[in-house]
Amino acid sequence: MSAAAQKPVPRPAPESVPYWQAAREHRLELPRCNACHKFWFPPSRSCPHCLAADFAWTPVSGIGKVYSFVTFHRVYHPAFAQEVPYVVALVELAEGPRLLSNIVGVPPDAVACDLPVKVLFDDVAEGVSVPKFVPLNE
Amino acid sequence: MIEPSPELRDVCAVVGASNSRLGKVPGVSSLDLLVEAMRNAIADAGLKVDDIDGIVCRGPDEAYGHHQLIGERLGINARFSTSLDNGGASQILAVALATMAIKAGLATTVICGYGRDSWSRTHSSKEANVRNETRPDSQLAHEFGPEYGYFGAVAAHAFGATRHMHLYGTTRDQFGEVAVAFREHALRNPDAQMKKPLSIAEYHEAPQVVSPFGLYDCSLRSDAAGAVIVTSRERARDLRQPPVLIKGFGSFNNLRGWFADDNMVVTAAKNSGATAYRMAGLGPDDVDTAQIYDCFTYMVVAQLEDYGFCKKGEGGPFVASGALRMGGRLPTNTSGGQLSEAHVEGMLQVVEGVRQLRHTYPADRQVADAEVALVSGHGGNQVCHSTLILGRA
Repeated sequence: MSAAAQKPVPRPAPESVPYWQAAREHRLELPRCNACHKFWFPPSRSCPHCLAADFAWTPVSGIGKVYSFVTFHRVYHPAFAQEVPYVVALVELAEGPRLLSNIVGVPPDAVACDLPVKVLFDDVAEGVSVPKFVPLNE
Repeated sequence: MIEPSPELRDVCAVVGASNSRLGKVPGVSSLDLLVEAMRNAIADAGLKVDDIDGIVCRGPDEAYGHHQLIGERLGINARFSTSLDNGGASQILAVALATMAIKAGLATTVICGYGRDSWSRTHSSKEANVRNETRPDSQLAHEFGPEYGYFGAVAAHAFGATRHMHLYGTTRDQFGEVAVAFREHALRNPDAQMKKPLSIAEYHEAPQVVSPFGLYDCSLRSDAAGAVIVTSRERARDLRQPPVLIKGFGSFNNLRGWFADDNMVVTAAKNSGATAYRMAGLGPDDVDTAQIYDCFTYMVVAQLEDYGFCKKGEGGPFVASGALRMGGRLPTNTSGGQLSEAHVEGMLQVVEGVRQLRHTYPADRQVADAEVALVSGHGGNQVCHSTLILGRA
Protein backbone atom coordinates (compact mmCIF):
# COMPACT_ATOMS: atom_id res chain seq x y z
CA MET A 1 0.00 0.00 0.00
CA SER A 2 3.01 2.27 -0.54
CA ALA A 3 2.64 5.59 -2.31
CA ALA A 4 4.97 4.20 -4.96
CA ALA A 5 2.56 1.43 -5.93
CA GLN A 6 3.00 0.58 -9.58
CA LYS A 7 0.17 -0.19 -11.93
CA PRO A 8 0.15 -3.79 -13.06
CA VAL A 9 1.87 -4.32 -16.38
CA PRO A 10 0.67 -7.06 -18.70
CA ARG A 11 2.16 -10.47 -18.04
CA PRO A 12 1.57 -12.02 -21.44
CA ALA A 13 0.60 -15.60 -22.03
CA PRO A 14 2.88 -17.18 -24.66
CA GLU A 15 0.23 -16.79 -27.38
CA SER A 16 -0.20 -13.06 -26.76
CA VAL A 17 3.47 -12.06 -26.86
CA PRO A 18 3.21 -10.80 -30.50
CA TYR A 19 0.26 -8.58 -29.51
CA TRP A 20 2.34 -6.82 -26.90
CA GLN A 21 5.38 -6.63 -29.16
CA ALA A 22 3.28 -4.78 -31.74
CA ALA A 23 1.75 -2.54 -29.07
CA ARG A 24 5.25 -1.61 -27.93
CA GLU A 25 5.75 -0.24 -31.46
CA HIS A 26 2.34 1.48 -31.28
CA ARG A 27 0.65 -0.89 -33.67
CA LEU A 28 -2.61 -2.70 -32.92
CA GLU A 29 -2.39 -6.17 -34.43
CA LEU A 30 -4.70 -9.12 -33.97
CA PRO A 31 -4.60 -12.70 -35.15
CA ARG A 32 -6.41 -13.15 -38.46
CA CYS A 33 -7.32 -16.51 -39.93
CA ASN A 34 -5.78 -17.35 -43.30
CA ALA A 35 -8.66 -19.76 -44.00
CA CYS A 36 -11.81 -17.79 -43.08
CA HIS A 37 -10.12 -14.35 -42.90
CA LYS A 38 -11.79 -13.40 -39.62
CA PHE A 39 -10.03 -11.69 -36.74
CA TRP A 40 -10.23 -12.83 -33.15
CA PHE A 41 -9.29 -11.78 -29.64
CA PRO A 42 -7.98 -12.67 -27.11
CA PRO A 43 -5.02 -14.25 -28.88
CA SER A 44 -4.87 -17.99 -29.39
CA ARG A 45 -3.14 -20.25 -31.88
CA SER A 46 -6.22 -21.51 -33.67
CA CYS A 47 -9.18 -19.69 -35.13
CA PRO A 48 -12.27 -19.85 -32.88
CA HIS A 49 -14.44 -19.30 -35.97
CA CYS A 50 -13.21 -22.26 -38.08
CA LEU A 51 -10.48 -23.97 -35.99
CA ALA A 52 -7.82 -23.43 -38.66
CA ALA A 53 -4.36 -23.05 -37.17
CA ASP A 54 -3.02 -20.99 -40.09
CA PHE A 55 -3.13 -17.32 -39.10
CA ALA A 56 -1.19 -14.10 -39.34
CA TRP A 57 -0.77 -11.18 -36.96
CA THR A 58 -2.49 -8.43 -38.94
CA PRO A 59 -2.86 -4.69 -38.31
CA VAL A 60 -6.38 -3.43 -37.63
CA SER A 61 -7.83 0.03 -38.13
CA GLY A 62 -7.86 0.95 -34.46
CA ILE A 63 -11.34 2.34 -35.02
CA GLY A 64 -14.29 1.00 -33.09
CA LYS A 65 -17.17 1.84 -30.85
CA VAL A 66 -17.95 1.42 -27.19
CA TYR A 67 -20.07 -1.71 -26.73
CA SER A 68 -20.39 -1.07 -23.00
CA PHE A 69 -18.42 0.61 -20.23
CA VAL A 70 -18.14 1.04 -16.49
CA THR A 71 -16.71 3.75 -14.28
CA PHE A 72 -14.47 2.75 -11.39
CA HIS A 73 -15.03 4.83 -8.27
CA ARG A 74 -13.68 2.28 -5.80
CA VAL A 75 -9.92 1.78 -5.62
CA TYR A 76 -9.08 -1.92 -5.88
CA HIS A 77 -5.37 -1.35 -6.39
CA PRO A 78 -3.43 1.48 -4.75
CA ALA A 79 -1.81 2.50 -8.04
CA PHE A 80 -5.23 3.62 -9.30
CA ALA A 81 -6.01 5.81 -6.28
CA GLN A 82 -5.26 8.97 -8.27
CA GLU A 83 -7.15 7.75 -11.34
CA VAL A 84 -10.69 7.36 -9.98
CA PRO A 85 -13.16 7.90 -11.43
CA TYR A 86 -11.88 6.19 -14.58
CA VAL A 87 -13.62 4.41 -17.41
CA VAL A 88 -13.02 0.83 -18.48
CA ALA A 89 -14.76 0.09 -21.75
CA LEU A 90 -15.39 -2.87 -23.98
CA VAL A 91 -14.48 -1.55 -27.41
CA GLU A 92 -15.82 -3.35 -30.45
CA LEU A 93 -13.34 -2.87 -33.26
CA ALA A 94 -14.54 -2.29 -36.81
CA GLU A 95 -12.97 -5.67 -37.61
CA GLY A 96 -15.23 -7.40 -35.07
CA PRO A 97 -13.26 -8.37 -31.96
CA ARG A 98 -13.94 -6.66 -28.64
CA LEU A 99 -11.12 -5.37 -26.41
CA LEU A 100 -11.15 -4.16 -22.84
CA SER A 101 -9.45 -0.81 -22.52
CA ASN A 102 -9.68 2.66 -21.02
CA ILE A 103 -11.43 5.60 -22.63
CA VAL A 104 -9.15 8.55 -21.99
CA GLY A 105 -9.09 12.22 -22.85
CA VAL A 106 -12.69 12.88 -21.85
CA PRO A 107 -14.52 12.84 -18.52
CA PRO A 108 -16.49 9.67 -17.68
CA ASP A 109 -19.83 11.34 -18.36
CA ALA A 110 -18.79 11.91 -21.98
CA VAL A 111 -18.62 8.15 -22.58
CA ALA A 112 -21.65 6.32 -23.90
CA CYS A 113 -22.51 3.01 -25.52
CA ASP A 114 -21.88 3.07 -29.26
CA LEU A 115 -19.54 6.08 -28.97
CA PRO A 116 -17.06 5.93 -31.89
CA VAL A 117 -13.47 5.68 -30.66
CA LYS A 118 -9.95 5.33 -31.99
CA VAL A 119 -6.84 3.77 -30.52
CA LEU A 120 -3.83 5.48 -29.05
CA PHE A 121 -0.91 4.00 -27.15
CA ASP A 122 0.07 4.76 -23.59
CA ASP A 123 3.73 4.11 -22.78
CA VAL A 124 3.13 2.89 -19.26
CA ALA A 125 6.59 1.53 -18.46
CA GLU A 126 9.96 1.03 -20.07
CA GLY A 127 9.26 -1.12 -23.12
CA VAL A 128 5.56 -1.50 -22.33
CA SER A 129 2.78 0.30 -24.21
CA VAL A 130 -0.90 -0.45 -23.85
CA PRO A 131 -3.62 0.45 -26.34
CA LYS A 132 -6.22 2.88 -25.04
CA PHE A 133 -9.02 4.71 -26.80
CA VAL A 134 -10.24 8.26 -27.24
CA PRO A 135 -13.45 9.47 -28.85
CA LEU A 136 -13.03 9.49 -32.62
CA ASN A 137 -13.83 13.20 -32.87
CA GLU A 138 -11.27 14.26 -30.24
CA MET B 1 -33.92 -27.34 -28.61
CA ILE B 2 -32.89 -30.53 -26.92
CA GLU B 3 -35.34 -32.76 -25.12
CA PRO B 4 -34.31 -33.39 -21.51
CA SER B 5 -35.48 -36.72 -20.15
CA PRO B 6 -38.86 -36.44 -18.43
CA GLU B 7 -37.84 -39.62 -16.61
CA LEU B 8 -35.84 -37.40 -14.26
CA ARG B 9 -38.95 -35.41 -13.33
CA ASP B 10 -40.32 -36.05 -9.85
CA VAL B 11 -38.07 -39.07 -9.18
CA CYS B 12 -36.06 -37.39 -6.44
CA ALA B 13 -36.82 -35.06 -3.59
CA VAL B 14 -35.00 -32.68 -1.32
CA VAL B 15 -35.52 -34.02 2.19
CA GLY B 16 -33.12 -31.90 4.20
CA ALA B 17 -32.14 -28.27 3.83
CA SER B 18 -30.27 -25.98 6.15
CA ASN B 19 -27.66 -23.32 6.62
CA SER B 20 -24.78 -22.57 8.94
CA ARG B 21 -24.40 -19.35 10.88
CA LEU B 22 -24.49 -16.52 8.33
CA GLY B 23 -22.61 -13.28 8.05
CA LYS B 24 -19.49 -12.48 10.03
CA VAL B 25 -18.22 -15.72 11.54
CA PRO B 26 -14.53 -15.04 12.18
CA GLY B 27 -12.19 -17.85 13.06
CA VAL B 28 -14.23 -20.55 11.32
CA SER B 29 -13.07 -22.02 8.03
CA SER B 30 -15.34 -22.39 5.02
CA LEU B 31 -14.97 -26.15 5.45
CA ASP B 32 -16.19 -25.96 9.04
CA LEU B 33 -19.11 -23.78 7.98
CA LEU B 34 -20.07 -26.28 5.29
CA VAL B 35 -19.89 -29.17 7.73
CA GLU B 36 -22.04 -27.13 10.13
CA ALA B 37 -24.66 -26.64 7.42
CA MET B 38 -24.50 -30.32 6.47
CA ARG B 39 -24.95 -31.44 10.08
CA ASN B 40 -27.96 -29.15 10.30
CA ALA B 41 -29.36 -30.53 7.04
CA ILE B 42 -28.92 -34.14 8.21
CA ALA B 43 -30.74 -33.29 11.45
CA ASP B 44 -33.42 -31.42 9.50
CA ALA B 45 -34.04 -34.54 7.39
CA GLY B 46 -34.10 -36.84 10.41
CA LEU B 47 -31.37 -38.95 8.85
CA LYS B 48 -28.26 -40.53 10.33
CA VAL B 49 -24.98 -39.65 8.70
CA ASP B 50 -24.55 -43.30 7.68
CA ASP B 51 -27.62 -42.91 5.47
CA ILE B 52 -25.61 -40.56 3.25
CA ASP B 53 -23.78 -42.37 0.45
CA GLY B 54 -23.12 -39.50 -1.92
CA ILE B 55 -21.44 -36.08 -1.73
CA VAL B 56 -21.53 -33.45 -4.45
CA CYS B 57 -20.11 -30.16 -3.32
CA ARG B 58 -17.85 -27.33 -4.23
CA GLY B 59 -14.83 -26.11 -2.40
CA PRO B 60 -13.11 -22.76 -2.17
CA ASP B 61 -11.55 -21.68 -5.47
CA GLU B 62 -8.11 -22.91 -4.52
CA ALA B 63 -9.34 -26.31 -3.28
CA TYR B 64 -8.55 -29.68 -4.77
CA GLY B 65 -10.74 -32.70 -4.06
CA HIS B 66 -12.90 -30.84 -1.56
CA HIS B 67 -15.48 -33.65 -1.39
CA GLN B 68 -12.78 -35.81 0.20
CA LEU B 69 -12.44 -33.36 3.08
CA ILE B 70 -16.20 -33.38 3.54
CA GLY B 71 -16.31 -37.18 3.72
CA GLU B 72 -13.46 -37.17 6.19
CA ARG B 73 -15.24 -34.66 8.44
CA LEU B 74 -18.57 -36.47 8.19
CA GLY B 75 -16.81 -39.79 8.78
CA ILE B 76 -18.30 -41.49 5.75
CA ASN B 77 -17.26 -43.19 2.56
CA ALA B 78 -19.33 -42.44 -0.52
CA ARG B 79 -20.59 -44.48 -3.45
CA PHE B 80 -20.63 -41.29 -5.49
CA SER B 81 -18.74 -38.11 -4.73
CA THR B 82 -17.12 -35.23 -6.53
CA SER B 83 -16.47 -31.49 -6.38
CA LEU B 84 -17.76 -29.09 -9.01
CA ASP B 85 -16.14 -26.17 -10.77
CA ASN B 86 -18.90 -24.02 -12.31
CA GLY B 87 -18.73 -21.19 -9.81
CA GLY B 88 -22.14 -20.03 -8.65
CA ALA B 89 -23.80 -22.41 -11.09
CA SER B 90 -22.29 -25.37 -9.24
CA GLN B 91 -24.79 -25.55 -6.40
CA ILE B 92 -27.82 -26.40 -8.55
CA LEU B 93 -25.64 -28.56 -10.76
CA ALA B 94 -24.81 -30.54 -7.59
CA VAL B 95 -28.51 -31.20 -7.00
CA ALA B 96 -28.92 -32.16 -10.67
CA LEU B 97 -25.95 -34.51 -10.55
CA ALA B 98 -27.26 -36.04 -7.32
CA THR B 99 -30.61 -36.69 -9.01
CA MET B 100 -28.93 -38.30 -12.00
CA ALA B 101 -26.71 -40.45 -9.76
CA ILE B 102 -29.69 -41.64 -7.72
CA LYS B 103 -31.74 -42.33 -10.85
CA ALA B 104 -28.80 -44.28 -12.27
CA GLY B 105 -28.53 -46.37 -9.12
CA LEU B 106 -25.11 -45.04 -8.22
CA ALA B 107 -26.18 -43.69 -4.84
CA THR B 108 -29.30 -43.49 -2.69
CA THR B 109 -28.94 -40.34 -0.61
CA VAL B 110 -26.67 -37.49 -1.66
CA ILE B 111 -25.68 -34.42 0.32
CA CYS B 112 -24.89 -31.22 -1.60
CA GLY B 113 -23.52 -28.00 -0.25
CA TYR B 114 -21.23 -25.04 -0.44
CA GLY B 115 -19.56 -22.85 2.13
CA ARG B 116 -17.57 -19.64 1.99
CA ASP B 117 -15.46 -17.52 4.29
CA SER B 118 -15.63 -14.45 2.10
CA TRP B 119 -16.26 -11.93 4.85
CA SER B 120 -13.27 -13.12 6.85
CA ARG B 121 -11.14 -13.48 3.73
CA THR B 122 -11.77 -9.91 2.60
CA HIS B 123 -11.34 -8.49 6.10
CA SER B 124 -8.14 -10.28 7.06
CA SER B 125 -6.00 -7.19 6.39
CA LYS B 126 -6.30 -3.68 5.02
CA GLU B 127 -4.80 -4.86 1.74
CA ALA B 128 -7.25 -7.77 1.48
CA ASN B 129 -10.08 -5.33 2.08
CA VAL B 130 -8.88 -3.03 -0.69
CA ARG B 131 -8.50 -5.88 -3.18
CA ASN B 132 -11.84 -7.41 -2.17
CA GLU B 133 -10.78 -10.56 -3.97
CA THR B 134 -11.66 -14.10 -2.92
CA ARG B 135 -9.71 -15.96 -5.59
CA PRO B 136 -6.05 -16.88 -5.47
CA ASP B 137 -3.71 -14.93 -7.75
CA SER B 138 -3.24 -17.92 -10.02
CA GLN B 139 -6.89 -17.58 -11.11
CA LEU B 140 -6.83 -13.88 -11.91
CA ALA B 141 -6.18 -12.30 -15.29
CA HIS B 142 -2.60 -11.16 -15.88
CA GLU B 143 -3.26 -9.22 -19.09
CA PHE B 144 -6.20 -7.62 -20.89
CA GLY B 145 -7.61 -6.27 -17.64
CA PRO B 146 -5.42 -5.32 -14.69
CA GLU B 147 -3.30 -2.91 -16.73
CA TYR B 148 -6.49 -0.92 -17.29
CA GLY B 149 -7.50 -0.99 -13.65
CA TYR B 150 -10.14 -3.60 -14.41
CA PHE B 151 -10.66 -5.77 -11.34
CA GLY B 152 -13.41 -7.86 -9.86
CA ALA B 153 -16.89 -9.18 -10.42
CA VAL B 154 -18.64 -5.86 -9.73
CA ALA B 155 -17.20 -4.34 -12.90
CA ALA B 156 -17.86 -7.43 -15.00
CA HIS B 157 -21.55 -7.39 -14.19
CA ALA B 158 -21.74 -3.60 -14.37
CA PHE B 159 -20.87 -3.88 -18.06
CA GLY B 160 -24.10 -5.82 -18.56
CA ALA B 161 -26.07 -3.28 -16.58
CA THR B 162 -24.75 -0.40 -18.70
CA ARG B 163 -25.63 -2.15 -21.93
CA HIS B 164 -29.09 -3.13 -20.68
CA MET B 165 -29.76 0.47 -19.62
CA HIS B 166 -28.62 1.64 -23.04
CA LEU B 167 -30.78 -0.82 -24.98
CA TYR B 168 -33.94 -0.75 -22.89
CA GLY B 169 -33.89 2.39 -20.77
CA THR B 170 -33.54 0.41 -17.56
CA THR B 171 -32.90 2.72 -14.60
CA ARG B 172 -31.08 2.70 -11.30
CA ASP B 173 -34.43 3.28 -9.62
CA GLN B 174 -35.43 -0.12 -10.95
CA PHE B 175 -32.20 -1.76 -9.77
CA GLY B 176 -32.81 -0.05 -6.44
CA GLU B 177 -36.20 -1.69 -6.08
CA VAL B 178 -34.48 -5.09 -6.26
CA ALA B 179 -32.16 -4.14 -3.40
CA VAL B 180 -34.93 -2.58 -1.33
CA ALA B 181 -37.36 -5.50 -1.83
CA PHE B 182 -34.77 -8.11 -0.85
CA ARG B 183 -33.74 -6.11 2.19
CA GLU B 184 -37.35 -6.02 3.27
CA HIS B 185 -37.43 -9.82 2.98
CA ALA B 186 -34.21 -10.14 4.97
CA LEU B 187 -35.73 -8.22 7.87
CA ARG B 188 -38.20 -11.10 8.27
CA ASN B 189 -35.34 -13.62 8.38
CA PRO B 190 -33.63 -13.75 11.78
CA ASP B 191 -30.55 -15.47 10.29
CA ALA B 192 -29.95 -12.75 7.68
CA GLN B 193 -26.69 -10.81 7.70
CA MET B 194 -28.39 -7.46 7.10
CA LYS B 195 -30.59 -6.26 9.92
CA LYS B 196 -31.47 -2.65 9.02
CA PRO B 197 -34.11 -1.40 6.59
CA LEU B 198 -32.98 0.07 3.29
CA SER B 199 -34.85 2.88 1.54
CA ILE B 200 -34.63 3.83 -2.10
CA ALA B 201 -33.17 7.18 -0.98
CA GLU B 202 -30.40 5.39 0.93
CA TYR B 203 -29.80 3.24 -2.14
CA HIS B 204 -29.23 6.32 -4.27
CA GLU B 205 -27.14 8.13 -1.64
CA ALA B 206 -24.71 5.22 -1.14
CA PRO B 207 -21.25 5.51 -2.68
CA GLN B 208 -20.75 4.37 -6.23
CA VAL B 209 -18.52 1.31 -6.49
CA VAL B 210 -18.22 0.66 -10.20
CA SER B 211 -20.92 2.63 -11.97
CA PRO B 212 -23.65 1.99 -12.69
CA PHE B 213 -23.42 -0.06 -9.49
CA GLY B 214 -23.42 1.56 -6.09
CA LEU B 215 -22.90 -0.16 -2.77
CA TYR B 216 -26.39 -1.66 -2.55
CA ASP B 217 -26.33 -3.10 -6.06
CA CYS B 218 -23.62 -5.45 -4.80
CA SER B 219 -24.12 -8.68 -2.88
CA LEU B 220 -22.58 -9.33 0.50
CA ARG B 221 -19.27 -10.76 1.57
CA SER B 222 -20.34 -13.54 3.90
CA ASP B 223 -19.02 -16.32 6.04
CA ALA B 224 -21.79 -18.82 5.44
CA ALA B 225 -22.79 -22.21 4.11
CA GLY B 226 -25.85 -24.10 3.00
CA ALA B 227 -26.61 -27.76 2.36
CA VAL B 228 -29.41 -29.93 1.02
CA ILE B 229 -30.01 -33.67 0.93
CA VAL B 230 -31.45 -35.43 -2.11
CA THR B 231 -32.93 -38.91 -2.12
CA SER B 232 -35.45 -40.91 -4.11
CA ARG B 233 -39.10 -39.99 -3.92
CA GLU B 234 -39.81 -43.41 -2.35
CA ARG B 235 -37.30 -42.95 0.45
CA ALA B 236 -38.47 -39.40 0.98
CA ARG B 237 -41.94 -40.60 2.01
CA ASP B 238 -40.68 -42.01 5.30
CA LEU B 239 -38.64 -39.02 6.36
CA ARG B 240 -39.34 -36.17 8.72
CA GLN B 241 -39.96 -33.28 6.34
CA PRO B 242 -42.60 -32.83 3.67
CA PRO B 243 -40.62 -33.87 0.58
CA VAL B 244 -39.98 -31.23 -2.04
CA LEU B 245 -39.81 -32.77 -5.50
CA ILE B 246 -37.12 -32.04 -8.04
CA LYS B 247 -39.29 -31.40 -11.07
CA GLY B 248 -36.69 -30.26 -13.53
CA PHE B 249 -33.27 -28.78 -14.00
CA GLY B 250 -31.20 -27.33 -16.76
CA SER B 251 -27.78 -25.97 -17.45
CA PHE B 252 -26.26 -23.73 -20.05
CA ASN B 253 -22.84 -22.18 -20.35
CA ASN B 254 -22.07 -19.23 -22.61
CA LEU B 255 -18.46 -20.30 -22.94
CA ARG B 256 -17.76 -17.89 -25.79
CA GLY B 257 -17.58 -15.40 -22.97
CA TRP B 258 -19.45 -12.72 -21.09
CA PHE B 259 -18.03 -10.12 -23.47
CA ALA B 260 -18.98 -12.09 -26.60
CA ASP B 261 -22.20 -11.88 -28.60
CA ASP B 262 -25.03 -10.41 -26.51
CA ASN B 263 -24.27 -12.64 -23.51
CA MET B 264 -24.13 -9.81 -20.98
CA VAL B 265 -27.74 -8.89 -21.83
CA VAL B 266 -29.27 -12.26 -22.75
CA THR B 267 -27.72 -14.52 -20.15
CA ALA B 268 -27.30 -18.29 -20.09
CA ALA B 269 -30.40 -18.34 -17.88
CA LYS B 270 -32.44 -18.32 -21.06
CA ASN B 271 -31.29 -21.70 -22.38
CA SER B 272 -30.76 -23.16 -18.93
CA GLY B 273 -34.31 -22.23 -17.98
CA ALA B 274 -35.80 -23.55 -21.22
CA THR B 275 -34.29 -26.96 -20.50
CA ALA B 276 -35.53 -26.95 -16.90
CA TYR B 277 -39.04 -25.93 -17.93
CA ARG B 278 -39.18 -28.72 -20.49
CA MET B 279 -37.99 -31.35 -18.07
CA ALA B 280 -40.55 -30.17 -15.53
CA GLY B 281 -43.33 -29.80 -18.07
CA LEU B 282 -43.89 -26.32 -16.68
CA GLY B 283 -43.48 -22.71 -17.76
CA PRO B 284 -42.97 -19.34 -16.15
CA ASP B 285 -46.69 -18.93 -15.45
CA ASP B 286 -46.55 -21.99 -13.19
CA VAL B 287 -43.85 -20.54 -10.93
CA ASP B 288 -45.08 -19.17 -7.58
CA THR B 289 -41.76 -17.98 -6.17
CA ALA B 290 -38.31 -17.42 -7.66
CA GLN B 291 -34.97 -17.61 -5.88
CA ILE B 292 -32.66 -15.84 -8.29
CA TYR B 293 -28.88 -15.63 -8.18
CA ASP B 294 -28.57 -12.00 -7.14
CA CYS B 295 -24.87 -11.30 -7.16
CA PHE B 296 -25.89 -7.83 -8.39
CA THR B 297 -29.27 -6.15 -8.75
CA TYR B 298 -29.01 -6.05 -12.53
CA MET B 299 -28.59 -9.81 -12.73
CA VAL B 300 -32.03 -10.26 -11.20
CA VAL B 301 -33.57 -8.01 -13.85
CA ALA B 302 -31.81 -9.84 -16.69
CA GLN B 303 -32.63 -13.32 -15.41
CA LEU B 304 -36.31 -12.53 -14.83
CA GLU B 305 -36.46 -11.64 -18.51
CA ASP B 306 -34.44 -14.66 -19.59
CA TYR B 307 -36.71 -16.98 -17.59
CA GLY B 308 -39.75 -15.54 -19.35
CA PHE B 309 -41.39 -13.82 -16.39
CA CYS B 310 -41.50 -10.76 -18.64
CA LYS B 311 -40.18 -9.90 -22.10
CA LYS B 312 -36.53 -9.02 -22.75
CA GLY B 313 -36.10 -5.37 -21.89
CA GLU B 314 -39.14 -5.23 -19.60
CA GLY B 315 -37.39 -6.47 -16.47
CA GLY B 316 -37.01 -2.95 -15.11
CA PRO B 317 -40.72 -2.10 -15.20
CA PHE B 318 -41.50 -5.65 -14.00
CA VAL B 319 -39.50 -5.24 -10.79
CA ALA B 320 -40.68 -1.63 -10.36
CA SER B 321 -44.27 -2.92 -10.28
CA GLY B 322 -43.54 -4.53 -6.91
CA ALA B 323 -43.62 -8.01 -8.43
CA LEU B 324 -40.74 -9.27 -6.28
CA ARG B 325 -42.35 -8.36 -2.95
CA MET B 326 -44.23 -10.72 -0.65
CA GLY B 327 -47.75 -10.66 -2.06
CA GLY B 328 -46.42 -9.48 -5.43
CA ARG B 329 -46.77 -11.29 -8.72
CA LEU B 330 -43.54 -13.27 -8.20
CA PRO B 331 -42.17 -13.08 -4.65
CA THR B 332 -38.44 -13.40 -5.20
CA ASN B 333 -35.48 -14.04 -2.92
CA THR B 334 -37.84 -14.31 -0.02
CA SER B 335 -35.06 -14.88 2.53
CA GLY B 336 -33.21 -11.73 1.46
CA GLY B 337 -30.98 -13.18 -1.23
CA GLN B 338 -27.29 -12.63 -1.63
CA LEU B 339 -27.90 -8.90 -1.46
CA SER B 340 -29.22 -9.05 2.11
CA GLU B 341 -29.34 -12.58 3.61
CA ALA B 342 -25.83 -13.89 2.83
CA HIS B 343 -23.84 -14.68 -0.29
CA VAL B 344 -23.14 -18.41 -0.63
CA GLU B 345 -23.04 -18.46 -4.43
CA GLY B 346 -26.59 -19.70 -4.87
CA MET B 347 -26.66 -22.37 -2.17
CA LEU B 348 -29.06 -20.46 0.07
CA GLN B 349 -31.34 -19.91 -2.91
CA VAL B 350 -31.78 -23.69 -3.11
CA VAL B 351 -32.41 -23.90 0.64
CA GLU B 352 -35.01 -21.12 0.51
CA GLY B 353 -36.80 -22.68 -2.47
CA VAL B 354 -37.17 -25.88 -0.46
CA ARG B 355 -38.34 -24.09 2.68
CA GLN B 356 -41.00 -22.12 0.83
CA LEU B 357 -42.49 -25.33 -0.54
CA ARG B 358 -42.68 -26.98 2.86
CA HIS B 359 -45.23 -24.38 3.99
CA THR B 360 -43.74 -24.32 7.48
CA TYR B 361 -42.81 -20.62 7.61
CA PRO B 362 -44.71 -18.10 9.70
CA ALA B 363 -47.26 -16.26 7.59
CA ASP B 364 -45.12 -13.15 7.06
CA ARG B 365 -42.36 -15.21 5.40
CA GLN B 366 -44.53 -17.71 3.55
CA VAL B 367 -45.43 -17.26 -0.12
CA ALA B 368 -49.09 -18.17 0.09
CA ASP B 369 -49.98 -21.49 -1.56
CA ALA B 370 -46.55 -21.82 -3.20
CA GLU B 371 -46.53 -25.01 -5.27
CA VAL B 372 -43.60 -24.39 -7.62
CA ALA B 373 -40.28 -22.61 -7.03
CA LEU B 374 -37.66 -21.72 -9.61
CA VAL B 375 -34.07 -21.42 -8.41
CA SER B 376 -31.17 -20.06 -10.43
CA GLY B 377 -27.41 -20.35 -10.24
CA HIS B 378 -24.93 -18.19 -12.14
CA GLY B 379 -21.18 -17.96 -12.10
CA GLY B 380 -17.90 -19.16 -13.50
CA ASN B 381 -16.83 -15.77 -14.88
CA GLN B 382 -20.45 -14.82 -15.53
CA VAL B 383 -21.21 -17.44 -18.17
CA CYS B 384 -22.20 -20.67 -16.40
CA HIS B 385 -25.83 -21.08 -15.46
CA SER B 386 -28.05 -23.68 -13.86
CA THR B 387 -31.76 -23.80 -13.09
CA LEU B 388 -33.73 -25.92 -10.66
CA ILE B 389 -37.50 -26.25 -10.56
CA LEU B 390 -38.91 -27.57 -7.31
CA GLY B 391 -42.49 -28.55 -6.51
CA ARG B 392 -44.61 -29.70 -3.62
CA ALA B 393 -45.22 -33.44 -3.61
